Amino acid sequence: MSTQMDNVSAESRSLWGDAWRRLRKNRLALWCLVVVVIYTVTAFYGEVQYRYYQFKDEQPSYQRPDLDSQYLAPSLTRVLKGEDRAGRSVVKELLRHPCGTDGLGRDVLARLVQGTRIAFLVGIVTSIIAIPIGVILGCLAGYFGGKVDDFIVWLYTTMASIPGLLFILAIAMVVGQGLLGVYLGIGLTTWVGLCRLIRGEVIKHKSSTYVTAARALGLGHARIIFRHILPNVFHIVIVTFTIRFPQAISTEVFLSFLGIGVQGEPSWGIMISNSRLRLWQGVWWEMTFVTIAIFLVVLAFNLLGDALRDALDPRLREAG
Amino acid sequence: MRVKAHTAEIRRALFAVLTTFCILGCRSGSDDTVSSDEMVYYGTTSRIRGFDPVKAGDVASSIAASKVYEGLFQYAYLDRPYHVEPLLAESLPSVSEDGLTYTFTVRKGIYFQDDPCFVETDGKGRELVAEDFVYAIKRISDLKNESTGYWVFNDRIVGLDEFREASGSEDPTDYTVAIEGLSALDRYTLQLKLKRPYPQLLWILTMHYAFAVPREAVEYYGDEFLNHPVGTGPYILKTWRRNYRIEFVRNPKWVETGRVELYPGSTDPADGDAGLLADIGHPLPFIDRIVQRVVDDPSTQWLMFLQGEIESSGISRDNWDVVITDGNNLTGELKERGIRLLKAVTLDLYYIGFNMDDPIVGASDDPDADARHKKLRQALTCAFNTAEWIRFHNDRITRPTGPVPPGVAGYADKDPMFPFDLARARQLLRDAGYPDGQDPATGRRLILTLELGSAQSPEFRQSTELFASFMNELGVVIEASYNNWPTFLGKMDRRQAQMYRLGWVADYPDAENFLQLFYGPNSSPGPNHSNYVNPDFDALYEKARIMQDGPERTELYARMADIVIDDCPWIFTATPLSYGLHHAWIRNYKHHDFPYGMIKYYRIDMDRRKKEDTQ
Repeated sequence: MSTQMDNVSAESRSLWGDAWRRLRKNRLALWCLVVVVIYTVTAFYGEVQYRYYQFKDEQPSYQRPDLDSQYLAPSLTRVLKGEDRAGRSVVKELLRHPCGTDGLGRDVLARLVQGTRIAFLVGIVTSIIAIPIGVILGCLAGYFGGKVDDFIVWLYTTMASIPGLLFILAIAMVVGQGLLGVYLGIGLTTWVGLCRLIRGEVIKHKSSTYVTAARALGLGHARIIFRHILPNVFHIVIVTFTIRFPQAISTEVFLSFLGIGVQGEPSWGIMISNSRLRLWQGVWWEMTFVTIAIFLVVLAFNLLGDALRDALDPRLREAG
Repeated sequence: MRVKAHTAEIRRALFAVLTTFCILGCRSGSDDTVSSDEMVYYGTTSRIRGFDPVKAGDVASSIAASKVYEGLFQYAYLDRPYHVEPLLAESLPSVSEDGLTYTFTVRKGIYFQDDPCFVETDGKGRELVAEDFVYAIKRISDLKNESTGYWVFNDRIVGLDEFREASGSEDPTDYTVAIEGLSALDRYTLQLKLKRPYPQLLWILTMHYAFAVPREAVEYYGDEFLNHPVGTGPYILKTWRRNYRIEFVRNPKWVETGRVELYPGSTDPADGDAGLLADIGHPLPFIDRIVQRVVDDPSTQWLMFLQGEIESSGISRDNWDVVITDGNNLTGELKERGIRLLKAVTLDLYYIGFNMDDPIVGASDDPDADARHKKLRQALTCAFNTAEWIRFHNDRITRPTGPVPPGVAGYADKDPMFPFDLARARQLLRDAGYPDGQDPATGRRLILTLELGSAQSPEFRQSTELFASFMNELGVVIEASYNNWPTFLGKMDRRQAQMYRLGWVADYPDAENFLQLFYGPNSSPGPNHSNYVNPDFDALYEKARIMQDGPERTELYARMADIVIDDCPWIFTATPLSYGLHHAWIRNYKHHDFPYGMIKYYRIDMDRRKKEDTQ
C-alpha cells in the first residue's frame, strides 16, 4: 500500500530530524526559538554573575543602593551640573541605565537579567520536580491499569481538586518563604496535566503490536515501559515542558509580587511590586520593562510549544 | 504597643485597581444611604480584630473600640504637655498619703447604649456603676480571655494576680470573688489598692484596657461580644463588615439622658491661630456618622484622598515628591484646594534589635567574649548611615538619640554616642575579632540573620535592603529572613531571632513605657524581645518606676538611657514625623499621639465640602 511505503521512507529520517525540518519551515516558531535562546543565554549570564559574586563574597552590583541615582529615567547619559533652566552650562556623564533605575538607584537592566535567572531557575527546577512525577505515574497507571490505575487516577484527581494557589501557599508556609517554597509549591502541583496525557497515550500504545512483540519476547515491565513505550510518547513531555515553563514563571512572578516568593533577590515579581507605588507619578520604566520581559518570554514559549506540538505529532508526519 | 516596623500594610495588592474603581463608585452606592445634611466622616482603617477592649491589642482596634467605650479618664484634647482629665470619673481621684490607695467617684447619670443584652430593663441601657470597672479589670486579668493587656496591671493591684492565677483553672471564672485591691465601695465609688506606687496609673486608666464594660453584654453575647460593642461612648456601631467597612452613628442615648460633653478651651494662643477654638463650649460630638473602609493599598488610599473620598491621609514615601516642595510645604495645587499639612513628632520608636541570648551578637558569661560581642554591636551601630536612611524616607523620620523619644521627660537632646562613622566602625569590628568583616571561623564574611515580620510592603523591603547595604560597607552580610507576622512573633517569644526589626508605639507619655523594654524580667515572651539583662539598669528601673514625676526621676531615666545606648542592644533607626494631610472642611483636628476617641472633637464644614464637591 502506498501509505505503507510512505511510512517506510519517513522512517528513514529520525523522528527528531523530521521534526526539526518541519519546525524550520515555521518562521514564527524560529523567531520564538531565537527569543528563547536569547533568554537562556541571559539567564546563564545572570547565573555566572551571581556565582562570581558568591565566590568573591561581595555584595552584587545589582543589589548596591545608590540614593544619588534614584528613579532615573531610561537614558544613557545624565546631566551632572544641570540646572539648565538657570541657563548654566550642562555637563553630561555617561550612565549605563538603558532601562532606568529603581527606588534605591539600582540599574533596572541588571536586575532584569537577575530576574531572568530566577525565572529560568524556577522554570527548570519545577520541571525537574514535576515532569518525572507526571511521567512515571502516568506510565504506571496507563501500563498496569486496574488497581494501580485506580489509585493514581484517584491521586491526581484529588490533587487537581485542590485549588492550586492555596496548595502553593500552604507549601510556602510550611517550608518557609523563599525559592525552595516556590520550587516545591509549583513543582508538586503541576504534574497532573502531564500525568493524564501520558496515561492516555500509554494506554493507546499498550495494545500496539510492538508492545505485544516485546511482551512475547519476555521482556520485563520496566524495560517495556521505559525503553519501548516512553520514547514513543516523549514528544508529549517536550511539548508539556515548553507550555508549563512560562506558566511556572508567571506563578513565580505573582508569588513574589505577593511577598511569599523570592526574598532578597531581584525577581520580576518583586520588581513589579516595587515599581507599583510610583507608577502613577510617571515612573513607568521598571514596570514596563519587566512586563515586556515577561510578555516576551511567555509568548515565545507558548508559540514555540504550539509549533513543537505540530512538528512532533506523529500523525502529521506524512505531511512533512 | 508593639507594631510592625512599617506603616503601610499591603495584602490585597493584586486587587488594588479593582478596589479603586469599586470604592470610587461606592460613595453614592447602596451602602451610604445618608441624608444630605447629615455630617458624615469618611475615613480608612486597618483591619481590626473586633471591639472587645480586652482583645484590642493593636492601634486600629483600640481606636475602633474607643469610639464606643469610655474610661474613667481621657487626655485633655488640646493641652500639651499631655495630662489627663476626668471622663467617666467625677474628678481626679483622691490618693492616700502613701500613694497606694486610689478612690474614684464615678459620674452619675451616665447610661449604656440601648441593647437587647439588657434583658431586665427590656433593652434599655442601664446606668453606669463603679462595679462595671471592677468587672472590666477582672476581665483583663482572666487568663481565659487571653488578653494582651494584663501587663498594665501585672503585679500592681493587691489580690489581682491571685485572681488571675485562679482563673487558669478548668472551671468558669468566678467574677463574684472579692479582690482586696479592686472593689466598688458603693454604687458610684471605686477603690484601687496598689502593691507599690504606680505613677502611670492615670495614664493606664485612659487606655482601652480599663474601659467600662457591661457584664450583661459579655454574658448575653458570649464569644460574639467581640462583634457587639455595648458602651457609653459618643458612637454606637451600626454595621461592621469584617476587613471591609465599619460604620458608627451618634449614640442616641446621650440626647435621651441629657448627657452633655463640651468642646474644651485652651490657653495656648497657637490653638486659636490654628482655628481650634471656634467651637469652645459646643456640645460633642459634632459628627453624626463615621464610615471607615479598609484600604490596604497606599496608592488607592492616596487617590481616594485626592478625590475627597476620605477626609485625611498620611503621605507615603512614594507620594512625597509630588506633595511636598523643598521647603517642606505643600505643593501649589493641593494648597489651592485648601488642604492642610500638619506636622508633628510622634512618640514612636523603630529599631533593629539584637537578641542578647545569641552566641554571636549577644551577651556572654565570659567577660572577654562579652566585651567583644558588645564591640560588634557598637560597630554595627556606627555603620548605620543615618543621613542615607533619612534620605531614603524623604525626611519623614528623625534618628532617635536613645530609647527615650523626644517629647517625654528623660529625652536627652545630645549627640549620639555611636554616630555614623565608618572608620570607627571598622576599628570596633576589628577589636571585636572580625577584621574587615572576616569571620575567623569560616574565613568568609560574617553573616548575621535579620528576622522581619512581613515581606509585603515594598518600602519595608527596600529599606531592609538599604540596611543590609550599610552593613555591607563594613563587610558584614545581613541575611533577611522574612516571616509572616505570627511566625515572626513566635520566633521572638522563643528567642530564636538573631537580629529583628520592630517598632514600639508609646502607650502613655512616660519614658518608663520605653525603658521597660530593657528590663530583665520583661524578657521574651515579655516585651523585652532583645532579652537584655543588665543588673545596674534593672536596679535603676525598679527605683524609678515607683517614683512620681520629678527631676529626680528624669535624672534616673537619663542614666538608664545612657546604659542602654552604651550596651547597644538596639540600633535606634527612626522616630517618624507624622505628616498628615487634611481637607479644608475637616475642623478641630490636632495631632495627638494617643488619638483614641478623639474623633468626637472633629467637625466637618458641610458648606465647604459641598462647595468642593460641586467644583
